[in-house]
Amino acid sequence: MERIGFLKKEKIEEYLQSLSKKGELYVPVDVGRAVKFEKYLTGSSICLDRPPTLPPKSVIYPQSERLFKFKFKKDEGNVDLIEIEEVEDTKKRIIFGARPCDSAGFSVIDNVFIQTDTPDVYYERRRMNSFIAAKACDKPSAGCFCIAVGGGPFDDSGSDALITELEEGYLIEAKTEKGSLFLDWELIEPGDDHLEKKLKKKEESERLLSEYLGELKKIEPLDPKTESFNDENFWKRHLSKCISCGLCTYLCPTCYCFNITDEKKIFEGERIRSWDSCMFFHFTLEASGHNPRPDKFKRFRNRVGHKFMFYPEKYSQLIACCGCGRCIRFCPVSVDIREVVFELQKPRRV
Amino acid sequence: MVELKEKISEVFRDTNLVICWREGFDPIHATPHFVREESQIEDSIFNLFCVHNLCVYLPFLKEKAGILVKGCDSRTLIQFLQEGLIRREDVVIIGISCRGIIDVGKLMREVLYEAVTGVSIDGDSIKVKTVSREREFQLTSLLADKCKICRYPNPLIYDHLIGEPVESKVSWDMAYEDIREFEKKPLEDRLSFWTKEIGKCIRCYACRNACPLCICRDRCIAETRDPHFTSQSVELKEKFMFHFIHAVHLAGRCVECGECERACPVGIPVKMMKKKINLEMKELFDYETGINVDDKPPMYTFKAEEEKIKEHEL
Amino acid sequence: MGPKKNPYLPEIVTVVRIIEETPTIKSLQVVFDDPERMKNFKFEPGQVGQLSVFGVGEATFVINSPPTRKEYLQFSVMKVGEVTSAIHELHEGDKLGLRAPLGNWFPYESMKGRNILFIGGGIGLAPLRTLILFMLDNRKDYGRITILYGARTPIDLCYKEDLKDWGSRDDVDLVLTVDNEYPGWDKKVGLVPNVLLEMAPKPDNTVAITCGPPIMIKYTLIALSKLGFKDEDIITTLERRMKCGIGLCGRCNIGSKYVCKDGPVFSLAQLKSLPQEEY
Ligand SMILES: Cc1cc2nc3c(=O)[nH]c(=O)nc-3n(C[C@H](O)[C@H](O)[C@H](O)COP(=O)(O)OP(=O)(O)OC[C@H]3O[C@@H](n4cnc5c(N)ncnc54)[C@H](O)[C@@H]3O)c2cc1C
Ligand code: SF4
Ligand code: SF4
Ligand code: SF4
Ligand code: SF4
Ligand code: SF4
Ligand code: SF4
Ligand code: FES
Repeated sequence: MERIGFLKKEKIEEYLQSLSKKGELYVPVDVGRAVKFEKYLTGSSICLDRPPTLPPKSVIYPQSERLFKFKFKKDEGNVDLIEIEEVEDTKKRIIFGARPCDSAGFSVIDNVFIQTDTPDVYYERRRMNSFIAAKACDKPSAGCFCIAVGGGPFDDSGSDALITELEEGYLIEAKTEKGSLFLDWELIEPGDDHLEKKLKKKEESERLLSEYLGELKKIEPLDPKTESFNDENFWKRHLSKCISCGLCTYLCPTCYCFNITDEKKIFEGERIRSWDSCMFFHFTLEASGHNPRPDKFKRFRNRVGHKFMFYPEKYSQLIACCGCGRCIRFCPVSVDIREVVFELQKPRRV
Repeated sequence: MVELKEKISEVFRDTNLVICWREGFDPIHATPHFVREESQIEDSIFNLFCVHNLCVYLPFLKEKAGILVKGCDSRTLIQFLQEGLIRREDVVIIGISCRGIIDVGKLMREVLYEAVTGVSIDGDSIKVKTVSREREFQLTSLLADKCKICRYPNPLIYDHLIGEPVESKVSWDMAYEDIREFEKKPLEDRLSFWTKEIGKCIRCYACRNACPLCICRDRCIAETRDPHFTSQSVELKEKFMFHFIHAVHLAGRCVECGECERACPVGIPVKMMKKKINLEMKELFDYETGINVDDKPPMYTFKAEEEKIKEHEL
Repeated sequence: MGPKKNPYLPEIVTVVRIIEETPTIKSLQVVFDDPERMKNFKFEPGQVGQLSVFGVGEATFVINSPPTRKEYLQFSVMKVGEVTSAIHELHEGDKLGLRAPLGNWFPYESMKGRNILFIGGGIGLAPLRTLILFMLDNRKDYGRITILYGARTPIDLCYKEDLKDWGSRDDVDLVLTVDNEYPGWDKKVGLVPNVLLEMAPKPDNTVAITCGPPIMIKYTLIALSKLGFKDEDIITTLERRMKCGIGLCGRCNIGSKYVCKDGPVFSLAQLKSLPQEEY
């Protein structure tokens, strides 16, 4: 079966329309000073020329979702009953125009939410029903470092299809079984002839990125015995400037922590699950008032630790950061997680 | 910037901590720099990318500190002193007369977020080199909005001053023209504007935490269950609720440093709400925030018979 | 494989009995509304459940009745916050949600043939209670059983019925203590770790299991080490803020371990391999 297609530029509109008939289509849209994934509507102008401000994470893992509804009732004998109504979302979702790092982010979450004996059924259902096409990156954006953590601007892990933008059109390569969805032969033509151009682009893009990164080209998982990791002064030196907000975790394609809370009206209510962040004081605050991570230093240490030490320890040395650079690009005080990890590894490097 | 480093050294000898700036992860980003060792002074800088209001750290510090402030930032210190959030003897202020800073978010958008590898400034123009090309901009087109209407380019409080005084020709009315213009729009337009903008909010609380006057932070009622003002859902009304809380808690306190707006990753103009309230504050109480150490913020006082509030006569 | 179970869905239970243990602690005995489920429900001593008061929220409590006595499941709840306060308002016959069993349990198999030293403080006796009752129901499998239990005042001691029983048995040594002198109190006075040092139990062939407020645990662990107990023979249960209870929501981690899934039961040897200062 043919796995590589080519879509002429002028047909993109038609192509997206046709895609949107196969499922709920999400594309990056400029919403004014930010680019985010929105449901495709005829005429939506898709924005592929810069990395989306927010990753497509929320399409599969919404910032807030209902786990179930409950109703308080009484039976004939006036005995209280509680009725639980589960939410089952079986919609098919299509994401077009993620970045390779964004797709890799889903792989990180998959390990936690799906590869376990108690999978998160809400995430799993949506993930299994999603189709992701990533657009390869021509050049690095501010803060990008995917190649340093095992990804790359043309990496396809986590994506069902990889899209390369060429001068005259888009090369569409299906990478998984599901990827066939993006090969709409009514609108595309065989693409093998364009492969060479793609490879050139790939080389060029990787070269630009590694030149940009310089010494930050390679980041390894942190050794649990890393000395500075337990050194309070290390964190004070590097993180005094952190203002302890949730931006870096909420923009992160790999962060998955959540909170569960109940909301009630008189006879009914719902239990919702919403994103949470280990950078928040409330995250670990215990009812007794005791807080094991009371200050921003301990909290940031957990963030770095989780991504570069604890997670790799659990999942065969995989780093829980896809290098998308968003936390660096948008941090209000320009905290650079690459720099922090690099510093932690320094003794090992020299 | 010999003068800058000299001043920092001088203050450092007294305080053992100076909060200033150093170069960030790329040429168009500066980052706050906590000088705790002599050797770190060398890295300090001041340029058009030193956008942060460093005062945000002060109320949480448990030690004496030296701090660098631009004109606008200095109002924060005055507000802090009015509210008793810091003690004057705990800060040594290095003021900088400021000709404006760059809206880095805007610059990043202009170059489509491409990785920047170099930047050079020549008179009124700025050349920005990215991995794929070089572009030239007029500095004025990249100036932060707040700088275009800055009325206090010179620090209002300081112990040391760097730079020649800068003159501002901006009047109060000019500074609030944007708000007045916006208010002339029909209600539906304003509503749809805010619905779209607030709809983008992800409740990351960067705006709150970047705000030097949002000092509750960890105890913010936007996150508590008791009182239960907002839920964790991302419905529009919950987002609005958070922003109303933020705005109202800043009534008569917001010094318009613009940090909330700058911090927002999705570009919501959250400062507008605060400016609107400041406008009301001026009209009701003839009060402007962060100007006079001896002033009392209106919300800290109570008069049964406020001159300009007529409702109690009904 | 059939459809996957939704781990967030609670099952409905009914409160059949409420016991006021202390002014701030109530014990609830609950049964599943589904009688089949009640019959087939299996758990191990030390495992926990998430109780839901619908509309208020969920909170974690150890199942403190033993698997050997299954007419009901018992939870003891100290009133500290939102959910616990709502639980304290419940009446017999009220409905709750329950997700259980969750977490790991006490390694009782490997304790067979050994002497057991229980050290509890306040509500911390709850997880120990399930194991104590389990061991008493399998008495011949274990050696000497010693229980040291303390609370602020005599009023704050939980499980007064059990204490009376254990105190009267020949096959259990029970030592009770309160923090300060109290009118009518004729047993020990002093903080648990100090009383422990005074008792100076021998570490030979003995496993020590402790649970209580963080500060008590901290000093008890030090005292046990001082008495010569090996790190592998000191077992404790940890508390963390929890939400999901199944290793997904990310908040209860200490390094790469999740208290909800890899715990709450840990040996001191395990704790020592985790990042400093966080437990
Ligand atoms: C393994 C284990 C076993 C336990 N066993 C027992 C036991 O047997 N008996 C017992 O009494 N206790 C036990 N506990 C402790 C018990 O789980 C807590 O006391 C209980 O969860 C407190 O719940 P609460 O809702 O009453 O308190 P909360 O009201 O939750 O306490 C206040 C907390 O609310 C949090 N909060 C504030 N706003 C929000 C928000 N928007 N979203 C979420 N949280 C928010 C704060 O972080 C604060 O910590 C155990 C704990 C663990 C981990
Ligand atoms: S690192 Fe930056 S984005 Fe993250 S919490 Fe700190 S200040 Fe906020
Ligand atoms: S930690 Fe930062 S760079 Fe890494 S995936 Fe998250 S947002 Fe991207
Ligand atoms: S622990 Fe922190 S860094 Fe890790 S996934 Fe959760 S929020 Fe992200
Ligand atoms: S990190 Fe890599 S994959 Fe992600 S946007 Fe940058 S270059 Fe593309
Ligand atoms: S910084 Fe922006 S997105 Fe974040 S909470 Fe504030 S307004 Fe919302
Ligand atoms: S509300 Fe915004 S503009 Fe006002 S003081 Fe806070 S950060 Fe500055
Ligand atoms: S309680 Fe959610 S991971 Fe442990």
